Amino acid sequence: MSFELPEEVEQTRKKAREFALREFTDDLIRHYDETEEYPNEIRKKVFEAGFITLENPWNMLVTMEEFCRVDPGLGLSSLASVFGAEMVLLYGTDEQKEKYMYPTLRGEKISAVAVTEPGAGSDVAGISSRLDKTERGWILNGHKMFITNGTVADHYYLLARSSLPPKDKRHHGLTLVIVERRWKGVNPVKLKGKLGMRATDTAEITFENVEIPVENTLGEEGKGFYIVMTFFNISRVYVAAQSVGTAQGILDALMDYLSRKPQSFREMESVQFALAEMSTMVEAARNLTYKAASKVFAFNPDPVLTSMAKYYAADVANFVANEAFKIIGVEGLNTRVEKLYRDAKITEIWEGTNEIEKLVISRMLLRRLSEAK
Amino acid sequence: MSSEEQKLLINVIEQFAKSELESVSLKIEKEGLPRPLVRRLAELGLLAATVPPSEGGSGIDVRSFSLILYTIAKYSPSVAYYIYVQNTLVNEVLHQTGRSDLIPTVASGEITGTMVHDINMNSQHNVKVEGTKLQGENEYVVLPSATYHIVLARSSERSLLVLAKPSRVERKKPLGLRALEFGVSFYDSEVARENVLIQEKAEEALARHLDSSSIQVGAIALGIAESAIDKAIEYSKQRRAFESYLYEFQPIAAVLSDMKSRIGHMKDALTASEGGEGTVMFKLHALEIARLASRIALQVHGGYGYLEDVGIERLYRDSMFLTLLTSNYLRDMKAASTNLISKDAFRI
Ligand SMILES: Cc1cc2nc3c(=O)[nH]c(=O)nc-3n(C[C@H](O)[C@H](O)[C@H](O)COP(=O)(O)OP(=O)(O)OC[C@H]3O[C@@H](n4cnc5c(N)ncnc54)[C@H](O)[C@@H]3O)c2cc1C
Repeated sequence: MSFELPEEVEQTRKKAREFALREFTDDLIRHYDETEEYPNEIRKKVFEAGFITLENPWNMLVTMEEFCRVDPGLGLSSLASVFGAEMVLLYGTDEQKEKYMYPTLRGEKISAVAVTEPGAGSDVAGISSRLDKTERGWILNGHKMFITNGTVADHYYLLARSSLPPKDKRHHGLTLVIVERRWKGVNPVKLKGKLGMRATDTAEITFENVEIPVENTLGEEGKGFYIVMTFFNISRVYVAAQSVGTAQGILDALMDYLSRKPQSFREMESVQFALAEMSTMVEAARNLTYKAASKVFAFNPDPVLTSMAKYYAADVANFVANEAFKIIGVEGLNTRVEKLYRDAKITEIWEGTNEIEKLVISRMLLRRLSEAK
Repeated sequence: MSSEEQKLLINVIEQFAKSELESVSLKIEKEGLPRPLVRRLAELGLLAATVPPSEGGSGIDVRSFSLILYTIAKYSPSVAYYIYVQNTLVNEVLHQTGRSDLIPTVASGEITGTMVHDINMNSQHNVKVEGTKLQGENEYVVLPSATYHIVLARSSERSLLVLAKPSRVERKKPLGLRALEFGVSFYDSEVARENVLIQEKAEEALARHLDSSSIQVGAIALGIAESAIDKAIEYSKQRRAFESYLYEFQPIAAVLSDMKSRIGHMKDALTASEGGEGTVMFKLHALEIARLASRIALQVHGGYGYLEDVGIERLYRDSMFLTLLTSNYLRDMKAASTNLISKDAFRI
C-alpha cells in the first residue's frame, strides 16, 4: 500500500504552488481583502493555467490545498466558479450540461449553489422557498442567504420545496432547479463585511415570481434533498482540502518566523511541543482528507470518512491559527497568520457545520451497527 | 471603597454602558471613538480612575476599577481598552514617575496618551536613545496619533522611559479593537531632561507595572467572554433548526452553560482579587476563555456570526487582538511558573 499520490497529481501540486506564490501577491491579497471585490482577473488566469477540470478530481483537490495555503480567499473564489458542477454531471440532462455546466468548465460562466435561507441552514429540509407548478414549468418564490458567487454567477443550482412532504418525511418534496441570475424577479444583494474570505462573493437573493422552464429541473422532481446531500459528500472533501491548505499556510508562516529567530528561541521546549502538535495534526488532517477523497473519487463515497475529514480538518485549521498566534505573538499581525486566522473560521461553518458533520458521522455509524445486527 | 459603594459605582457604569455604549458600539468600530464619548469617559472619572484625587484622579481602588473595565468591555471592548491605556498605562505611569502635572489634561480627555513598548513581543524593537537623541520605530502601537507617547527606549547600557512625540505615524487596519487607531510610530527627536520619566532599568520597572495590572487585562477579556456567551445564549433562544430551538440541543446547551459557569467562577475570582503581581495567570486564563467563548459564540450564530453587522465576529477578533497586545505566552508563563514553582522553573 502506498501513501503517495500519482506523479501527475504531484506535478499539478507543484504547478499550483508556483502559480499561487507568483499570482497571489501580498498586494492583491490585501486589495481583495480590503475592497471585498470579486477577483475575476485571477479567476480567468486560473482557468487559462488549466487548473479547473473535473477530469482528474485529485488535481482540483491538491490545487485547492495549495491555493488556500497561500490565500484561501483568492484560491477558493477562483476554484469555486464551477461550484455545483458535479450535480449536473451526475444528474443533469445533456442539454443542461451543454448550456450550463460546460460553459463553467470553459471559464465562460460562473455557477452557484443556493440552498441556505435566512431561516434554515443546517436544517436543509426546513427551507421554505416554493416552486409552484405551471404548464411550462415552475414559478419560484423565495429567499436565499449567504450564497457564494451570488452576485457574479450566471446561474444558480437552487433547492426549493415543490410539494408538501408526508408527515415525518421532511426531506421529500424538495426539487433542484437551475435559475439564471438575469431572469426577471431574481434579486441578488451582496453581503459585505465578512470576518474573512472577503475575496469571495456572498449574497442574499430574493426570488419573486420567477418563471423557470420545465427543462431546468435538475434531477428527479422531489428528490432534490438527496442530490444536494450527494453533492455535499463531494464538496466537503474540497472544504477539507481548503482547511488543510489554510492550516499548512499558517504552519509555513510559523516556520518562517522560527527561521528568523535565534537558535535559543527554537530550542525552547514550549515552542517545540507546540510545533510538534500542530504539524502532527495538520498531517493527520491531510491523510484523512485524502482517504475520504480516494473513496469519493472512486465513486464509492463514505459519508463517515468525508464528514470526519471535513470536521477534523476545519477544527485543526482553527486550532493551528490560535496556537501559532500564541507563539508568534503580536508580530504575527505582520504575517499571513492574521488573515489566515480570519479565513480559517468559515471552514467550521459552510458545507455543513462541525456539529452537523458530527451528527452525520455518529448517525451513520449507529445505523451500520443496527444494520449489522 | 465599601462593597456597597462598589455596587453603586458598578451600577452607574452599567447604566452608562447600557444607555450610551451599547447602541453605538458597532458604529464606533467603523468610525472611531467620537470626542463626546471620550469626554463622557472623563466626566465619569474613568481616564484617571486609580490615580489619587490629590493628583487629579478619581482615587478608585484597583478592584473596583477592574470591575469597571469588565462591565464596559461587555458592551465595548475597544472603549474598555481605551480606558485601560489612559488610566493604567499613561496616567498611573505619569503619577509614579513624578509627572502628575500632565495628568489633568489626559484625565479630562483633552489630550490622549499612549504607551509604546516591546515587552510583550518576542524580539526587541528598535526605539533607541543615544545621548539625548531618540530614534526608531515601533510597529504595534495602539493610538499612534496620541499626543503623549510614553516610550520604552534603549541605549547600549540601559533602558529608559521617556515622554516623546512621534515624528510620523502610519495607520494600519487592526485585527481587533477597531474603534482605536492602530499603526506604526516613528521617532526622531531630542529628549528634554524633564521628559525622561525613568533613567535606567525602565524595562524591569515597566514589566512589573504591566504584570501588576494583569488583572485589568483579564477583566477586559472576561467582559468579552461574557458578552459573547450571553449573545449566544440569547440567540439560541430565538433561532430554530430541525423544528427545535438551538438551546434544546444537548451539545449547544452544554457548551454554553459550561462557558457561562466558568466565566462566573472567574468573575468571582476577579471580584475577590486585590490585583498586583501574581495575577498573570488570571490574565492568561481570561484571555483564553475570551478566545474560546467568542469562537463558540460565533459558531452558535452559524453563518450570521460571520458578518460584521451581527456584532459577534468582532469579539472573535478582539479577543485575539487583546491577547497579542497584552501577553507574550512564553514570557507570561515564565513569570507565572517562577512565581508558583521555583525561580528555575520554565527554564528549558
Ligand atoms: C461566507 C459564507 C458562504 C456561504 N456559501 C453558501 C453557498 O454558496 N450556498 C449555500 O447554500 N449556503 C452557503 N452558506 C451557508 C452555510 O452553509 C450555512 O451558514 C451553514 O450551513 C449553517 O447554517 P446557518 O447559518 O443557518 O446556521 P444554523 O443552522 O442556524 O445553525 C446555528 C448553530 O446551531 C448548530 N446546530 C444546528 N442544528 C444542530 C443540531 N441538531 N445539533 C447541534 N447543533 C446544531 C449549528 O452547527 C450552528 O453552530 C454560506 C455561509 C457563509 C457564512
